[in-house]
Amino acid sequence: MSGELLFWLNLLVTVGIYTLLAVSLNLINGHAGMFHLGHHGFWALGAYAATWLTLNAASLPGPLLYVLSLLLAMAVAAIGGLTIGIPCLRLRGDYLAIATLGFGEIVRIAVQNSPHDFLGGSLGTKVPRVLMEVTRTTQVPFRFLTLAIVAVACAAAILVFRNFLRSLPGRRLLAVAQDETAAGLLGIDPTRSKVLAFVMGSAVAGLAGGLYAHYMGGINPLNFNFMEMVKMFLVIVLGGMGSLSGCVIGAFLVVATEQLLNRAPEAIASWWQVLFPLILALMIVFRPQGIFGRKEITDMIRAWRRSPA
Amino acid sequence: MIFEARGLTKRYGGLTAVSGVDMELAQGDLVGLIGPNGAGKTTCFNLITGADAPTSGTIRFKGEDVTRARDFQMARKGVARTFQNIRLWKEMDVLDNVRAVCRAGEPCGFAAAALRLPRFRRVERAVTEKATSLLQRLGLGDVLAESPGDLPYGDQRRLEIARALALDPDLLLLDEPAAGMNPTEKARLMETVRDLRREFDLTILLIDHDMKFVMGICERIYVLDHGERIAHGTPAEIRCDKKVIEAYLGSEC
Ligand SMILES: Nc1ncnc2c1ncn2[C@@H]1O[C@H](COP(=O)(O)OP(=O)(O)OP(=O)(O)O)[C@@H](O)[C@H]1O
Ligand SMILES: [Mg+2]
Repeated sequence: MSGELLFWLNLLVTVGIYTLLAVSLNLINGHAGMFHLGHHGFWALGAYAATWLTLNAASLPGPLLYVLSLLLAMAVAAIGGLTIGIPCLRLRGDYLAIATLGFGEIVRIAVQNSPHDFLGGSLGTKVPRVLMEVTRTTQVPFRFLTLAIVAVACAAAILVFRNFLRSLPGRRLLAVAQDETAAGLLGIDPTRSKVLAFVMGSAVAGLAGGLYAHYMGGINPLNFNFMEMVKMFLVIVLGGMGSLSGCVIGAFLVVATEQLLNRAPEAIASWWQVLFPLILALMIVFRPQGIFGRKEITDMIRAWRRSPA
Repeated sequence: MIFEARGLTKRYGGLTAVSGVDMELAQGDLVGLIGPNGAGKTTCFNLITGADAPTSGTIRFKGEDVTRARDFQMARKGVARTFQNIRLWKEMDVLDNVRAVCRAGEPCGFAAAALRLPRFRRVERAVTEKATSLLQRLGLGDVLAESPGDLPYGDQRRLEIARALALDPDLLLLDEPAAGMNPTEKARLMETVRDLRREFDLTILLIDHDMKFVMGICERIYVLDHGERIAHGTPAEIRCDKKVIEAYLGSEC
């Protein structure tokens, strides 16, 4: 019984983390219209920044350390976003994709090749438990607590992004995404808008990294490989580029598929690695706007209420 | 002079799109820029607005050398334009097309926007008020929530003007504002352009192929052909200019 509960709790926490990754990737790729393939790099930066602080500030009270490490995760990822954003965002389309993909891989490979006494190198590292003690008997409350925290983080991220998109700087970003030339000629600095989106998106990916590290209790560079980027991309392509609520549903579909497949006999379990890229390709060919397109679930409910029964 | 171009030249590979053009505009001028297809009129607009950098020549605006200024910098200095091929942001509604361009008195930072701080509300209210009044002024007050792509052609052109005015420009460049309009709409647009100049203290430079329209409202006209300025004068002078008749107008005088 508790095994089943643990499975579903784990599934939901993972959905939450992928929701954070997807809404932030979506801000960059969907709303801002850039082709960015290095999100796993920001995720890793956040995870390792949080881990580093947790390992090196062990004297602080646990919950404080937890919060501080999440803030550091966001800050480090945001600085990463700013550093690669400024030179890269002058590139367009495929070139931007290659440059950001390179960044994502460099982060992982750099950690992989770092000395073992610094963040564990290729072997990975344990992340000390600071939120609460986690033993076999406290797994259920620990997962419930993490789920609550992740849910709050998702709600906050979605709210902040939604507010942003309905503000002056947000509209400028949408204008740049739709017609950069017109935007520039109407006084909008396209690079500034894009860097802002990039930094916001990387900060939230960093937050997802910090939450992930604390939840897993240990991380290694392979957690952040390119296949993860494919998954995130699939989530936003399924949900709809430019739809925040689509991300939540997309994340659920992808994570649930993967984890349910994982329970299956080994011969089938690893098939998600084939299945996901295949679905991704099919979606892009047959329904590139995703399930939701640019619409939000709230728009649909409103339209559905308005239409005569 | 609010605006001065000297020896403005643009070469694309072997093609000289604009060649040694001089142009001057005084505050409050309403001037036309005409010439046959491919004469280099739109290219001139691109050079003036910083969309493209001139190969040679200089541009001064409000006393400052702006030859190398970027597009968004020119826009913020007070040069606004509309486009020959309408370039509205199709996935935003009419109101947001204008609101994206409005500058409120104070900047609305990211934090203020994301957290809905009082500053965000102030900026938002100011911007919405300004955008709405501009749209109402251009006769688009009833279609604020529509998608620009669903509007008739003439309305889209007027939306482009409203959007340009949101920059509080000193110099407004209109690239074929009457194209695709019927005679009634054109007559109304003439009225509007004249009134806007007065209400917003504008200097206006406009391109159009409709001679009735251009001659009807412009006080002066520049004529381009093959990138070169072949004539400059009042509508009456231009109508009877030998070179202009030969290159563009046919027999009108
Ligand atoms: N970016 C560019 N690259 C190469 N050639 C260009 C470019 N822009 C314009 N041209 C060329 O420069 C010449 C002038 O074009 P321009 O668009 O300025 O003409 P125009 O006077 O506006 O004509 P129309 O009345 O048809 O709008 C044309 O031959 C055009 O093909
Ligand atoms: Mg033209």
